[in-house]
Amino acid sequence: MSGPLLEAVGVSIQFGGLKALSDFNLAIHKGDLQGLIGPNGAGKTTAFNVLTGVYQPTQGEVRVSGLRVNGRLPHQINHLGLARTFQNIRLFRALTALDNVKVACRGQAALHVEGVGPGAKFRGALRNYRDWWRALMLTPGFLAEERELTRQAEHLLEVMGLSHRRDEEARNLPYGEQRRLEIARALGTRPKVLLLDEPAAGMNTREKADLMVLIRKLRDEFDLGILVIEHDMKLVMGICEKITVLDHGETIARGAPAEVRSDRKVIEAYLGDSYLESHGGAA
Amino acid sequence: MQTASAVSGSGGSSGVPASLRGILPVLVALPVLLVLEWLLSNSPFASYLLSIMAVNIILAVSLNIVNGMTGQFSIGHAGFMAVGAYLAGVTSLALKDVALSFLPVAVSDQVFLVVALLAGGISAALAGFLVGLPSLRLRGDYLAIVTLGFGEIIRVVVTNTEAFGRALGLSGIPQTSTVAMVGFWVFLVVLVSRRIAGSSHGRSLWAIREDEVAAEAMGVNTTGYKVRAFVISSFFAGIAGGLFAHFVPIINPGSFTFVKSMEIVVMVVLGGLGSTTGAIVAAVFLTLLPEALRSAFAAFGSESTLAQQVDQIRMPVYGLLLVVLMLSRPQGLFGTKELWEVIPRWIPRRRKGM
Repeated sequence: MSGPLLEAVGVSIQFGGLKALSDFNLAIHKGDLQGLIGPNGAGKTTAFNVLTGVYQPTQGEVRVSGLRVNGRLPHQINHLGLARTFQNIRLFRALTALDNVKVACRGQAALHVEGVGPGAKFRGALRNYRDWWRALMLTPGFLAEERELTRQAEHLLEVMGLSHRRDEEARNLPYGEQRRLEIARALGTRPKVLLLDEPAAGMNTREKADLMVLIRKLRDEFDLGILVIEHDMKLVMGICEKITVLDHGETIARGAPAEVRSDRKVIEAYLGDSYLESHGGAA
Repeated sequence: MQTASAVSGSGGSSGVPASLRGILPVLVALPVLLVLEWLLSNSPFASYLLSIMAVNIILAVSLNIVNGMTGQFSIGHAGFMAVGAYLAGVTSLALKDVALSFLPVAVSDQVFLVVALLAGGISAALAGFLVGLPSLRLRGDYLAIVTLGFGEIIRVVVTNTEAFGRALGLSGIPQTSTVAMVGFWVFLVVLVSRRIAGSSHGRSLWAIREDEVAAEAMGVNTTGYKVRAFVISSFFAGIAGGLFAHFVPIINPGSFTFVKSMEIVVMVVLGGLGSTTGAIVAAVFLTLLPEALRSAFAAFGSESTLAQQVDQIRMPVYGLLLVVLMLSRPQGLFGTKELWEVIPRWIPRRRKGM
């Protein structure tokens, strides 16, 4: 088996005097379904932002498919196969559901251009100008590509059960569907690893149950590695094979759900040490 | 906003060979423009007014690509117009005595006009690239400040450059602009704007406008797209300036002040940020408004004084217009929609017939 698709090695990030994340390690392989949990302010979303290139790590290294990505821009990291959703939904609100996904599909199409290596930048620029020209002249190739993008996007909407919302503006969708649309959009970039930031937030019990099934299905159907941040313990414990627990930027536990659940430090972080004292230690 | 509809909307009818589909609108427009030119050949005032209107439309539609579609706020469009006007003007002055002897004079003039326009447009695009590259890497309001500064810098530079006639301005530029030529560029900028809006590039621009962080995370090279949009916009501003220089007797720094920049911004905001047809309608309206007021006052007999004052009160009127607009319809006349998407909603009856 090849190396991990996404890897964080000793990643630390500091904002002024605050160490938001210290010595964070993670490895996600194809087919993995891992969880990242921790109390509020533990640094979970910061970890996501470091992995996707929004923040630069002060120390350590992030690798995507074995390639060091420190210093790369988020869109370049995305082209390497890392896509994410956002904790506070960030859809393109005024665009239709279909167009939301098409934007992402397009980003993937640019991947062939912007590869790595000498001359790639120049070739990319050339192809880009040709691309604009094709769009302005409505060449048959452009129209075919446009149809292909639409087809891909429609397929993704179907997978996420959003076909009936195809032409509706994203802002008019109900909350749960907006979350699903964000996942569809992330899938549009054809990621190898998908990062889900609290996908179940604001969903009701039934929607959460559906989501659990859906996340598993996505992993199998799209051959993904998935990392989920989630507050809902039932969901995390139910689907994740491995869980990393953060508290104040430190990794305090890691392992299978059952191990993590009974870890003394984890209980302490979540419930406070007074709970442990009154209940006589971890169950 | 439904960007996909633009493709089918501007694609022309089926049955047209695929190789021609891209330029079909041009083939249709050219004869129409030439007929218009012929019709207006004896009415210089109408030609002048149409030309001014056309220049304003080009400016508004091109600014809409940056301010409307991409959601960046540029307020120095007159600066790019000035670059285009002066560079095209100087080019024309240099080529004044040259003619293509194998062509009729009128045609030869138009060829040189196009050369001058391209010189102006490309210079403006270059300026746009230089201004845009550093400032568009940042998010938020930096572009507004930089473009504001750029507009003023250009004005000061022109005022102090001998080759550009200093404060007196540049005169003697051959008046070769025609209604057909300005009409053609209006047509071109609208076509380009609509086709960008309907393509994946347009979707990327919309995405940047909606949420830059999310667009970047979804693989959109946000800086690259912002710079490209800005360069295209600057190019057409330069073309507008070049056209302007070829039908007004004299161009001076006073034509390209901050007030002119604001006028263009008002047009875009009034029409609805992101709506190409909105920008057109607003540009036409704001060009005709002062003229209409002027002739109205002239008709009442108070020729010189009041009619001149109309020009003076233009800015307060624009300001008032903007305040009223922001209070009553903050998304502008059409919002992000186009004319043909809005009209059926205003007239519910006609919807069935369509």
